[in-house]
Amino acid sequence: MRRLLLNKRFLTAVTLLILLAVIVLGSLPGSPINSLLKPVGAVVNPVQKAVKYSGNSISAFWAALTDGIAIRNENEQLRAEIAELQYQLNQNEEASIRYEELQEAFHIREVFSNYDIFGASVLSRESDEWFSVIRVGAGNSDGIYLEQGQSLAVVDVRMNLVGRVIEVNEDDSDILLLLHEGFQVSGKVNAVNGATFLIVGDASLKQQGLCLVTGIDPDTIPNVGDEIVTSGDGGLFPQGIPIGVIESVDTSNELNITATLRPYSDIEDLNDIFIMVPFEEEVQETNETAAADS
Amino acid sequence: MRRPQQIRKFIVYALYLLLFSTVQVTFSGILTFYGIRADLLFVLVVLVSYMFGFYDGIVFGALAGIIRDYFSAPSITTLDGTVTTALGIGLFLMVAAAAYGSSFFTVRIERNFLLAFLSVVTATLLYKIVGHFLIFLWSNLVPGLTYNMGLSQIITRSVLPQTVLNLIAAVPIYLLLRFLGPYKKGVNPVLIDEKRKGDNSWLTM
Repeated sequence: MRRLLLNKRFLTAVTLLILLAVIVLGSLPGSPINSLLKPVGAVVNPVQKAVKYSGNSISAFWAALTDGIAIRNENEQLRAEIAELQYQLNQNEEASIRYEELQEAFHIREVFSNYDIFGASVLSRESDEWFSVIRVGAGNSDGIYLEQGQSLAVVDVRMNLVGRVIEVNEDDSDILLLLHEGFQVSGKVNAVNGATFLIVGDASLKQQGLCLVTGIDPDTIPNVGDEIVTSGDGGLFPQGIPIGVIESVDTSNELNITATLRPYSDIEDLNDIFIMVPFEEEVQETNETAAADS
Repeated sequence: MRRPQQIRKFIVYALYLLLFSTVQVTFSGILTFYGIRADLLFVLVVLVSYMFGFYDGIVFGALAGIIRDYFSAPSITTLDGTVTTALGIGLFLMVAAAAYGSSFFTVRIERNFLLAFLSVVTATLLYKIVGHFLIFLWSNLVPGLTYNMGLSQIITRSVLPQTVLNLIAAVPIYLLLRFLGPYKKGVNPVLIDEKRKGDNSWLTM
């Protein structure tokens, strides 16, 4: 028995079997396995914040150095002084940009008055093409809760659709990006009585930063350059959130006309996002709409 | 193993684990090509297990997998169509990668840098091919879920770029483990003892 337990192949096989069971259990709704990772955050979150801060400081410092190349020809003392001033200037510019972005975020509140808007920073990004859920710093402790069957829209500072919340933890939430193949949203051309269709993430288009548009009626084919916004059908997302523009249309198969859409939101440059949580009455209306649709 | 060596081992492993896992999910532009980025943590796990043996690799891989699941768990569409995060897949992947790395031509052939890189390349190929195959199968099981990637797209847009990027990332990671790694001279003394006993793999760099 002891020999068996020390056998590496046996150990590997048993470990992998146990892990398979963990994966299956973990994917069940409300599984306690999800809470097992909470203590990990206590260790890795401070490290990640430190790494992020260091990276930002280094890039800001590097920018200051490169900006100061012309000044470097002058005397040593003046150069150091100017480099420092340049560094401070960059910092201020950064702060100014952030201020303008936050001003735009306030605009979101005005447009979607039936929604509570929760701002959050992006904590961690995708690891690779499959480990693709991103984590943002707002959760139950901020007052965000995700009911079964509910979907919370996530927008960037310019109010463009980024994705939706799929999991809310104590201090953070997991976001499914709109490029992901599991993502679906009903959209329409941003015009009066604009044609509606389904926008889905697609594995083959994801790396080009595009989404697939399906369910297109042959009589209402969108044009390249048309702006697409959420239609509000199904009640999961509010109506009118800008998604992106039509980049190409494929009419080669009349029974399955598709198009590609380039989202407005630049996923790679996301730093801050906003989670839209509907008020109670809105949730009830949404449930009624969804029930009527089904 | 003496106490200072053990302390060095734990500190270096902890440092690399935290550093690589956080860098991977914090900076989006590092070693990225056509939407694919080098998987630093995966490469690290394969190299640790190849260079320093099964037990180091499995423990390191398990911890790396837990952190990966915490930072950026994969999402799956369940049979009823809901999308959820699937915890445990990162853990499974990293433990499997460690088991693979530790058994990659380590019994009869001396561990060397060429085979170290080859272990990263083959592990990446295996991961990507099996991953695409499983996703394809799952897409056919779940109603409404489609997987439109053709074979040529899978090869040119996913498998090949990922393999090349991981190979590029393997060079500095190998050098770090070899010269600033958990063991002096980049050699795990336990593996040398096992070689003397003639019952396991061994290491001469």
